[in-house]
Amino acid sequence: MLEYQNLFNRVQVRTVAPDPGVELQPDTWVRQWKPEFKHWLGKIGDAQVGPIYLGVTGVMSLIFGFFAIEIIGLNMWASVGWNPIEFIRRLPWLALEPPPPAYGLHIPPLNQGGWWLMAGFFLTTSIILWWVRVYRRARALGLGTHLAWAFASAIFLYLSLGFIRPVLMGSWGEAVPFGIFPHLDWTAAFSIRYGNLFYNPFHMLSIAFLYGSTLLFAMHGATILATSRLGSDREIEQITDRGTGAERAQLFWRWCMGFNATMESLHRWCWWFAFLTTFSGAIGILLTGTVVDNWYLWAVKHHVAPEYPATIEISPEKLKDLGGQYQGAPPDTFPGLRGRITTPTPAQQAPGGGAPVPKRNEPLNAPATVAPPPEVNRPPGALNVPAGASDQPARAPAAKVDSTRRSP
Amino acid sequence: MNRAAIIALVALSACQGGRKEAVQVGYRGTGQVLVYDKSVLEAQGAANRLPPPIAPASPNSPVVKWQNVQVLTDVSANELNRTMIAMTQWVSPKQSCVYCHNPANFGSDEKYPKVVARRMLQMTRHINSNWQAHVQGTGVTCYTCHRGNNVPPVGIWYFTDENQYLRAFLDRQDVRVQAQTVGHTNLDNTSIRQATNTYALMIHMSRSLNVTCNACHASRSWTTWQNAPPARITALYGIRMVRDLNTNYLLSIASAFPPYRLGPHGDSPKLQCSTCHEGQWKPLNGAQMVKDYPSLWGAPQWARGGPSDTGSVGFKDLRNADSIPVDGGKILGPQSGMPRTAPSPQPVPGMTTAPNGASPQK
Repeated sequence: MLEYQNLFNRVQVRTVAPDPGVELQPDTWVRQWKPEFKHWLGKIGDAQVGPIYLGVTGVMSLIFGFFAIEIIGLNMWASVGWNPIEFIRRLPWLALEPPPPAYGLHIPPLNQGGWWLMAGFFLTTSIILWWVRVYRRARALGLGTHLAWAFASAIFLYLSLGFIRPVLMGSWGEAVPFGIFPHLDWTAAFSIRYGNLFYNPFHMLSIAFLYGSTLLFAMHGATILATSRLGSDREIEQITDRGTGAERAQLFWRWCMGFNATMESLHRWCWWFAFLTTFSGAIGILLTGTVVDNWYLWAVKHHVAPEYPATIEISPEKLKDLGGQYQGAPPDTFPGLRGRITTPTPAQQAPGGGAPVPKRNEPLNAPATVAPPPEVNRPPGALNVPAGASDQPARAPAAKVDSTRRSP
Repeated sequence: MNRAAIIALVALSACQGGRKEAVQVGYRGTGQVLVYDKSVLEAQGAANRLPPPIAPASPNSPVVKWQNVQVLTDVSANELNRTMIAMTQWVSPKQSCVYCHNPANFGSDEKYPKVVARRMLQMTRHINSNWQAHVQGTGVTCYTCHRGNNVPPVGIWYFTDENQYLRAFLDRQDVRVQAQTVGHTNLDNTSIRQATNTYALMIHMSRSLNVTCNACHASRSWTTWQNAPPARITALYGIRMVRDLNTNYLLSIASAFPPYRLGPHGDSPKLQCSTCHEGQWKPLNGAQMVKDYPSLWGAPQWARGGPSDTGSVGFKDLRNADSIPVDGGKILGPQSGMPRTAPSPQPVPGMTTAPNGASPQK
């Protein structure tokens, strides 16, 4: 009675001898790993392990993937001075960062993000080869290619973040760093930079599909486990030939919510929710910075977000003073595809902008020994930005920010 | 069953016990609520008590006549003595007077701490006179940062590299990264890296004051001022104040310091939020310590660039450098012409109060 209420599989189906699989097509790579039964794996899945089929794409994918991981790992290790203990201790915080923003889409030196580009290339190649493998293995077994296309949706999100959007923006520096916390920090910074990604409607959709996926997953798994003793574990047969298990499961959901998915459509629901999680997420990423610069303001403009009444009163003059300026100038900003904005007012004339400070790239007005080394992390000669841009003084003060500041 | 109970207990052990108080700091329904753990506030309050005040100087003593007095020229001899005793207690309790002074010739500038201390006195007066937008009526004394140490124990920093986010406290532009329009052009080409710097700086400030983001921000839109708690404005002036102090008072006295006090790039020690705040949203529980020490009160003529600001001997004077405004005192407008007074009275309970009225004493 409790067979299906256990955390682990109670039933391990074992053939007399391990199943070698269907006949291989001629000219294909032979399968590896003599199949055998493993009791403990049988607790969570099929007890039979192997045979494994790698093939050309599988082997190439693993090789390229190894290159990528090796480049990332060695760069991280180098960043702690090749100290193995520090490497392990700080691993969650170590990163392989994309090129500094000033490089735009140019190829930087290796230690200025060149390694990042290379690792990204190898990782992308590896992932795409794995996709080919998924597609071809499905065809080889006479399956549909549903898995490959769902995987393609995830790859589309990955490429949007790391390749398509950076190219649209005109800077590799817009892409995600490799690293555990660094890529999470990037996510937070990305949301901050573009005015709160929660107001991005495609981000909303992506979250809805993601949470919806988990809900569908739980509903489906629970329903089938709860009714398998009545035969609904034979899901595919019961698509067209509903037995009492399927009937009861479906009646259960009609009782609960007036509607039920069928044995067939449930799997389409799941597939589309999974597919759309990453697909809508990718659309949201591609619109950010290219079409919409501030999602909160977008949401207020389109009445998605309410505009709350002000809780403190600030005079317009005070607001100008508070507004401040955009931080930095080249090389912290990226050149972009449209060139830089010309700035009418030097930073020194910021109205009440506090004590104006030396500009970003100006030597400090202090004894020469005080200035930090100017070349650290600055890409000399790499500023292939439009003429006159690299010596641009600074950002306009807040008071001057308006649409007239767009470059021609 | 027992196992489940144990697991639940272990999971709950990550929760903080103490009494909590929630304070609303924004429009209703926006989640702008600060949660205070009273036991934390109480512990902080106990750890940041003031040293006992020094008995007031007797009135009617003459204005000081000693040699080589450049800053405290407008206080009586008794008050000057009292200030010196206080500074000894605050900054060099172990070394006493001789940390700064040659006992054979108290007027001599031969010891570097004396030159630095003179500039720091000017800085303290500058803060109390020109940065009321940040320190408001509370003011600062040497003890606010030094806490009985030669070098302030918290938050001293030096240059490391070009991307050091702490340089927002010195020579960077403001930290804004968000576009002010819905936009479709990425108007300013502000990079994710810059957003990361701002993010790092903000988290740094948050830790320096032991507050969360929504102490200052309406987190749905970091840039809004009208919907943010007023503390954000105070904090902004704090950033500007720290820049001013680092640039004009600390960076400029690098040549007065001996090499072992300097950073790896030869820069002088610099301050940041935590140097004064030390993890409290109001340093020293918000006590108005300076009210007992008239020598440190703000005086307009002591403002940077004011008629009495003679700079100090032995380091490069930045006041006339192009990038530094000589009218720094005018930045905040209303304060620049004020008469020399104690900071405006402000009731100071013995214990801390949390922002916006939460009190551990209730």
